[in-house]
Amino acid sequence: MFDLVVDSVPLAIVASIPLLLAVEGELIVQRGGIINLGIEGMMLTAAMTAAFAAQTTHNLAIGFVGGVAGAAMIAALFGLFAIVLRADQIVTGTAINLLALGGTSFVYHETQAFQQPVPQLRTDPLLPLAWIVAPIILGVILWNSSFGLRLRACGEHPEALLATGRSVRMHRWAALMIEGLLVGLAGAYLSLALSSGFAENMTAGRGFIALSIVIFGRWKLKGALLGTAIFGLAAAMQYALQAANRGIPFHLLLAVPYVVTLLILCGVAGRVRAPEALAKP
Amino acid sequence: MRRFGVAVLAAASAVLLLAFSGALFGHSPWSLLSILGSGSVGSRFALAGTLLKAVPLLLTGLSVVIAFRAGVWNIGGEGQFIVGGLAALVASRWGVVASLAAAMLAGAAWASIASAMRLWRNAPEVLTTILLNFTAIHLLGWSVNGPLREHAAQYPQTDPAGAALPVLGGVHAGIVLAVAASVFAWWLLYRTAEGLRLRATGFNPNAARWAGIRVGAQLARAMAISGAAAGLAGGVELLGVTHRLFERFAAGYGYSGIAVALLAQLHPLATIASALFFGALVTGAGELQRAANISAGLATFGQAVVILTLIVFENVRSRR
Repeated sequence: MFDLVVDSVPLAIVASIPLLLAVEGELIVQRGGIINLGIEGMMLTAAMTAAFAAQTTHNLAIGFVGGVAGAAMIAALFGLFAIVLRADQIVTGTAINLLALGGTSFVYHETQAFQQPVPQLRTDPLLPLAWIVAPIILGVILWNSSFGLRLRACGEHPEALLATGRSVRMHRWAALMIEGLLVGLAGAYLSLALSSGFAENMTAGRGFIALSIVIFGRWKLKGALLGTAIFGLAAAMQYALQAANRGIPFHLLLAVPYVVTLLILCGVAGRVRAPEALAKP
Repeated sequence: MRRFGVAVLAAASAVLLLAFSGALFGHSPWSLLSILGSGSVGSRFALAGTLLKAVPLLLTGLSVVIAFRAGVWNIGGEGQFIVGGLAALVASRWGVVASLAAAMLAGAAWASIASAMRLWRNAPEVLTTILLNFTAIHLLGWSVNGPLREHAAQYPQTDPAGAALPVLGGVHAGIVLAVAASVFAWWLLYRTAEGLRLRATGFNPNAARWAGIRVGAQLARAMAISGAAAGLAGGVELLGVTHRLFERFAAGYGYSGIAVALLAQLHPLATIASALFFGALVTGAGELQRAANISAGLATFGQAVVILTLIVFENVRSRR
């Protein structure tokens, strides 16, 4: 069993890069009091726009920019409904997931560009970015900057921020755009690095898993890294288990992280507290 | 009446936006609309397809209506649908009634995990129900690859269920059940004390508490009823349409139920019309895929457009 775990580590580190970037993005918005259920659709859209940009220009860098642009578009749509129109965040997020799932499937069938070859990724700048650089930067932003303090105030007690004469909306927009950047990179990595091109519903629940990991990590960056590592390892191990064929039911193994998260949410493994104003418009 | 107008407007603008999206990619919007129409209501066969799709949508839609009316965010329709299907399959050897009862019980139990976590540990049901969806999906994956795998062991699917719903004129009897369920939901919500308490809890939980309603227990009951409806949807889909379980059994019906309920403005009887509309949309989009090679994902896109348009219209209305 132990050798299986060790063998799966390299795959887990690389394969969970999109997941980790998404977790970091969702952590930022949830700290600001927004729960973005639409992160799944955001990542899926980014995967498509990234593949489209890379396949039409044969340039990987433009592909990643395309991914970020796609995610930013969805972030803007989410913000328009959840921040400007003050619509329910859960309903908006659900709608955006359906929109992206149906929309990308439709566009994929209509566009010739997706038949083009995808340029190969030689070096992997996102590996250190996701695991080291982004956590440090986000940590500094959230915990050591006045913007981070104000953003967390938006998540705990928006009235306090209003009392200082600042705009809750602007802070939440900023957080949403940071999420768009991170999730855009995540989607691009998914379609350009982990696979060669776009496929329908290729995010396969990663956005929802990211939501779970934010809770699992108790809205902290260290917890987010640890949570992603555990989820990533469990996912990578299923391949090893399948190959080894030791009779361990790997489908049940896949369910374990969700059950663990449920238990953690219930405070079995310690106290857990969500941002006070989460999901309140 | 005004709310009815808003709903019709949202549905119509969704269909128009679909035609427009088609035009954007060089399809004739007229032929697109005509295929959508003929493929969903244009023939006996198409109409039967629409009704078949409307049945699970109606039941998952009702599930969402009950939950949202009580103010609980049950996003777990997908998971409750799956455990409903699983329980229905296991109990199908004892006949249709036992099978469907098991489906409702399983759905209610699965949803109650979330409400128990909410009441005891204050865990938000938005998140727990989503987590329970994934747990159910993997439970299903394990079942169809392991203990419930077909005896031929050829595909990751189960053997056919031991019972099936009778078929009436091309459509299984689940449609009668689904319509009866929406009448029952209407009666429950508007003609019983339980329904009044449920709606009061959703309208303003603090006021409800002052009025002597035990809000926690009320939420738990609403969640259980909601889960039972989604579980029933899974059971009916198994005994009426798929007859077997496989990994992609739920096919998004749980999430689509949210669009169905919102278009119906959370009214149980209007949910019938709403489910028929979305059933027609799904069936018409399937025909688009066959006839014009346009992705059937267009139906999912349409569900999203309906929800977003409703939000915009509601917003305009409340600002006036």
